[in-house]
Formats: sequence, C-alpha cells, structure tokens
Amino acid sequence: MKFTSVIAALLCVLLSTAPVHATIDDSLSFALEAADPYVKDGFTVREDYWGGDLPVKQTKAIVHQLFKGNEYWFWMGSDQKVAKISVHVYDSDGNLAEVEAWQKPHMAACRVVPKKTGSYYLMVEIEKSPDERTYWSLSYGFR
Amino acid sequence: MNKLFLLALAVVTPNAWAEPPAKIDVSQLPSQARMIDEVIVPVPSEVFGVLDKIGQPHWEEILRRSTGVVKPSGGAEQIALMLGSVIAEGFIAVESQTAEEVKKIGKSVLSLSEGIGVKKAVQRRSQSIIDAADEKDWKKVRRELDGALSDVKDAMIELRSEELSQLVSLGGWLRGTEALSTVVKKNFSKDGAELLHQPVLLDYFDKRVSTMNPRRQTPLVLKVRQGLLEIRQLIGTGEGGELSEKTVQEIEAIAGGLVKAINLKAN
Repeated sequence: MKFTSVIAALLCVLLSTAPVHATIDDSLSFALEAADPYVKDGFTVREDYWGGDLPVKQTKAIVHQLFKGNEYWFWMGSDQKVAKISVHVYDSDGNLAEVEAWQKPHMAACRVVPKKTGSYYLMVEIEKSPDERTYWSLSYGFR
Repeated sequence: MNKLFLLALAVVTPNAWAEPPAKIDVSQLPSQARMIDEVIVPVPSEVFGVLDKIGQPHWEEILRRSTGVVKPSGGAEQIALMLGSVIAEGFIAVESQTAEEVKKIGKSVLSLSEGIGVKKAVQRRSQSIIDAADEKDWKKVRRELDGALSDVKDAMIELRSEELSQLVSLGGWLRGTEALSTVVKKNFSKDGAELLHQPVLLDYFDKRVSTMNPRRQTPLVLKVRQGLLEIRQLIGTGEGGELSEKTVQEIEAIAGGLVKAINLKAN
C-alpha cells in the first residue's frame, strides 16, 4: 500500500512538473517564431529567455538596462493558442517607450529605440485566456 | 467609403487591441507586478554594438594580451570572476580582430570552466570560438562568446551554483566597464559616457553579492562589492544623469583595480 502511494505521488510530481517545462519551451518557440522575420533584418536574438505562468489580467514587470544607440525588439509567445497576450516597455519615468508594437493570437511584440541609456520596465500581461494560468516566454533581439 | 471599410475592419478584426497606457507610475506597481529580482543583465554584445556605432576605438590599445592560456587560480569565487573577465576580454579581442588572441581566450574559457566544474557545458562553445576566429567570422565569435556566458550560467544553475554564475556575470561586467571607460575617456562624448550609466545593474549586482552565502563572501568578493558601491555613488541616483570626464576616469580606475585583483595569481 505504501509502495503504491509512493508511486502515485511520484506520478503526480512527474505529471505536474513535466508540462511546466514543455509549455514554457513551447511558448518560447512561438516567441522565436515571432522573432524570425527580424533576424533576417539583422537583429541578434539573445539566447537567454524569460518566462513563467500568469493569471489573466496580472501584469509582470521585468527591469532591463537598455542602451541608447541600439534598437530592440521584444517578442512574447504563449503555448495557449487562443490567448491574447501583450508586452510593452516603459522608461524609468513610466512613459511608454516603444515606437511600434503588435499583437496576434498568442504572440505579441514591441520595438524600442531608447532615447537614453538606463533602466526600462518590460510589462508582460495575459489579457485573455481560457486557462487559469497561462504560460508565456519572452525573448529579445538587438541591432 | 474607405473610412467605412476601415471602421468595419477594425470592428471585425480579432486582433484589435486596446492601446497601452501612455504613462504608468513605476513606483506604484501592484505588489504582484513587481519583480525586483528579475533584472536582465545585458550581454556584452549590446554594449560593444553601441560603441561600434559611436566611433572606431583603437581596441588593440585596450586589449590586454595574455601570455598564454589563463589557468584557474584561487577558490571557485575567484575562478568564476576570472572566467567572466576573460570572456569580456574575448569581446575586446574580437573588436581588435586579433585571431590569435581570440583563440587563446577560447582555450582560457575552457581551462577556467574546468576549474569550476562546467567544462563539459562550454566545450562546444570554446571550439566554436576558436573555429570562428580561424575563419575571422567576428560576428559568430561574438555570438559564441555571448552563448558561452549563457551556457556557464545554465550549467551552474544545474549544479546549484547560481551564486558562482552571478560572479561570472560580474567579472564580465567589471572588465567590460573598465574597457568602456577607457574608450569613452580617450574620446570623451556625452553619448559615450551615458553608456556607463547603469544604476539598475549596479543595484542588482550589489544585492546579489550582499545576499550570497557567507562562505562565498571571500575577501576578494567583498572587495568587489566595495568597488561596486563606489561606482554606484559616482553614477548617482537619477536616471539619464550626465557623467563628467573626471567621473569616467574614476570609474575606470575602480573597475581596473578590481579586474587586476580578480586576475591576481593566488599563492
């Protein structure tokens, strides 16, 4: 009886953790799909990425040092194909800093040409999703 | 007619979306939105890319040529800091297009990685750095050096040595900051000096070092932290602050002193 409980517990752990990696990785693949056309335009995509899961309408802020003289694209993806997601960038004074942004089902992106070197806030949000929590990934490129 | 068509399109299109607010209060972000710990440390390519656009610095004067492959020295903390500074040197070698130096750095990355148990993770990168230097494919060398940092970080997280991975980033940041200060100082401009204005990164590194396991807070690590605090003070608290030529020189001296201490052979 104890043995079966242990097996059941292990299965639960496996079932609950394995999809986490799979879904963040899947989300990343959509973020990179969004990035693809820009790579052809000379943007270098950073190999690191950021991700997690969020409930609908909850914003997450990530601080990033951006350098004046570079141009950046931030790409966000989700494995939930009907999710509506967004990524926007604000400067340290809280002003919207992006010069361009777009949103498609389960993908979003924005472009920033920093007016000054300093810290910027990347705001990611799951605007709509049928899931209680939705996985997301964020990648960026620069040139 | 056209307007009507566009209006209809906006109504039916599934991708129509609300404009984001033009201004937010970053000091009043709801608690769940705050991610103080989540700070993206830029890769060196981002800084070197800007420097390329500002002018053509004489990188060969800034490059610190090594006499051979750098060997691990001191404890794991020092080796991690050394590894970061060697990777940053790799970027300078790329800028100066010195293939022999880049190849030596590729081997040094491997040697230092072995010293902290992540040789396997960077073996492929190290070889790619050497191969790309042979082919003089500088863009690829840059990419592989960025990737080496990322691989080291991932491998260390796997080994539960995230603190050491922070020291690798810090070592790279210090050598990068020293080189950047030298470049800016040689041909001072407001735009160039602005690149050194990185308060969020200094706060981030300071927080990481100050909360490290006490056994990681060796005299060298504490010295590095002291230097970070001094640079932080010079940079000031405001965003977009202007840095004077004198401040740039002071930052160069502090960062340079720390890089020297990091690469000092332990007895």
